[in-house]
Amino acid sequence: MKFVLDQHAYLNSPIHRWDTRFKLIGFLVLIFAFSFVQELYIMPAMALATVAIFMISRIPVSFILARLRYPSFFLFAVVILLPFISGSDVVFSIGPLDVYEEGIESALLISVRFFSIITLGLILFGTAPLLTSIKAMRSLGLPAILADMTLLTFRYLFEIGNYLHQMETALRLRGFQARRFSRRGFSTLAWLGGSILVRSYERSEWIYKAMIMRGYGQDVNISQGSFQSSARDILALGLLILLAGGFVTAQILI
Amino acid sequence: MHVPDGVLPTAVCAAGYAAAVPITWYSIRKINQTGDPRENVPKAALLTAAFFVASWIHIPVPPTSVHLVLSGLMGAVLGYFAFPAILIGLFLQAVMFGHGGLSTLGVNAIIIGGPALLASFIFRLRGLRGDATRRSTGIFGFLASLCAIGISAALFTVLLINFIPADLDADTERHAILMLALGHVPLMFIEGAFTAFVTVFLLRVRPQMLTES
Amino acid sequence: MSELALEISDLSFSYPDKPDVLGDINLTVRSGEKVGLIGPNGAGKTTLFLSICGVLKPSKGKVSVMGKPVQIGDFNPQIGMVFQNPDDQLFCPSVRDDISFGPQNMGLSKAEVEARVNEALSAVGCKALAERPPHHLSGGEKRMISIAGVLAMHPELVIYDEPSANLGMRSRRRVIELLQTSTQTILISSHDLELILEVCDRVIMLDNGQIVAKGDPRQIMSDDQLMKAHGQEKPHSLIPHVQSHNR
Repeated sequence: MKFVLDQHAYLNSPIHRWDTRFKLIGFLVLIFAFSFVQELYIMPAMALATVAIFMISRIPVSFILARLRYPSFFLFAVVILLPFISGSDVVFSIGPLDVYEEGIESALLISVRFFSIITLGLILFGTAPLLTSIKAMRSLGLPAILADMTLLTFRYLFEIGNYLHQMETALRLRGFQARRFSRRGFSTLAWLGGSILVRSYERSEWIYKAMIMRGYGQDVNISQGSFQSSARDILALGLLILLAGGFVTAQILI
Repeated sequence: MHVPDGVLPTAVCAAGYAAAVPITWYSIRKINQTGDPRENVPKAALLTAAFFVASWIHIPVPPTSVHLVLSGLMGAVLGYFAFPAILIGLFLQAVMFGHGGLSTLGVNAIIIGGPALLASFIFRLRGLRGDATRRSTGIFGFLASLCAIGISAALFTVLLINFIPADLDADTERHAILMLALGHVPLMFIEGAFTAFVTVFLLRVRPQMLTES
Repeated sequence: MSELALEISDLSFSYPDKPDVLGDINLTVRSGEKVGLIGPNGAGKTTLFLSICGVLKPSKGKVSVMGKPVQIGDFNPQIGMVFQNPDDQLFCPSVRDDISFGPQNMGLSKAEVEARVNEALSAVGCKALAERPPHHLSGGEKRMISIAGVLAMHPELVIYDEPSANLGMRSRRRVIELLQTSTQTILISSHDLELILEVCDRVIMLDNGQIVAKGDPRQIMSDDQLMKAHGQEKPHSLIPHVQSHNR
């Protein structure tokens, strides 16, 4: 499993250079605007806007495609039935199954919204190191406890993932067959999960000791100096809000 | 049981966020009141990572295999921390793997995190009649997860059927609800059993993990 | 006639993003031999071990244990591997459960499994720990139990990945004694060169995925230039004493 979400965070594009706080607000507003759209006619504009933002970000296509693969299966599961069960105007038939116009429209609507929003999310968090994104959220009001937890969780995800990988290998070498279902196999997997929890818990005790020995928990104000906005940042936010407003207005008017 | 982006209307997404905020605030308040919050943070963070990883374990269910949600187990082990832990887990899942959604983060947190808190209350009942034994731990662990997953599945089904932008006639709706509900019943039992085994394991090996919540 | 316990021919392995982690490895180990594997971190030792066990599929080459080719992905109880970190191996709520795991997966009867567990516990001198959770044991005890869990499968070939890592002196000595008295064919990877000297009949030096030296342990490890060239240092016992210990 690839744990890096910000491996392209050090590229140079207008979106990379955009003040992360404004970027967060702008993108989230646009994402919500997208989820507001219901009319099929607005879909092409949504897709176009997404592609345009993607191209400005200079993030490689392979990154987006690789991360769209897995969630696409889930989307497929949700939308595949719609053309067959939703609506009343039959467009064509496949044997005994009728395919409805409304169902196709719904499936299209959900799909375009889905891909657009996910792509925007990937760009939002892919164009800045996670630490910067979390700091930006902190300065916008995210509680310190959540910020600290998120960063620590992310930091140790790889290591704990490695525990699982190593333990699964060790189980296999002693004959465990993961594919067969049995009571003993089930308890083995439960004990595996339990062991991961225990190891992580014990690890955390040492991490805590290391942290307080370097001053963790002292009430220090996180300096805002790391974020310095320019007129361009605010302008970009304004543009994105306008764009979002455009979609919302179009939806209301059509 | 994660609702993906693009399926729900803005109003529902916003409502999800709006509902998640007070619950998160309340959880954090409780966290700051118990023990040393500084110590709780690395503990909760590492356990959040551990649950994230544990949910990758394939549980064979012929003919296929499933990944568990583990929200009931999280409630049992983390107590109030379960809600922020689930919120963070969902966030990382959405930005790292595109699983779940960003616009639906609030909604998913309510669907999965709300019942997790209920699970923690149910699990605590194991000690009602004296010291918790292996038997009571296993039983209440099972019940905690059974209820948590059941309620999550119900919430998920109701939200999806009601708010998906599709024209479903009443009959189709009923069928869809039935299918989704039935599909989740085996999962409820599997998660219940898994939680029972893990909590009994923890009781034998590191009982303070179960009492600190 | 001593059979070949391990035969590796032209073994190569690459990861998709890392080519030539192992390159054209050729190695034979006779039954009962104790072979040490030394080399810097990243030399490919663990990859080699996992390839021997059938966990990793080599890009090229063959591995045979006791004359039979190793089936990739299958359960090969004739090969046992003791991991560097015992926590990676110990997952059951009791020591007895953990040691039973391998024999149970081999399909042995309850009586046979119990016999093997008791035998393994005796072999490592840990009978008193049978009902304890492995998580409560000290580092040295965990190490012995992880070894017992592998020995209970009666493997022909046992691989030890850094067996003395993080061990106190006493535990380390017990591991060395166990290795010295073992009758199986053994492959040991270790940075603890003194252990290699005490236990192994032969040593192989791996660097950058290639075997760069093989032979008598004292001979190889006395070669200053060779050792330094591959990120190693001469073990203390091979350095001539120029200062008397008594001051």
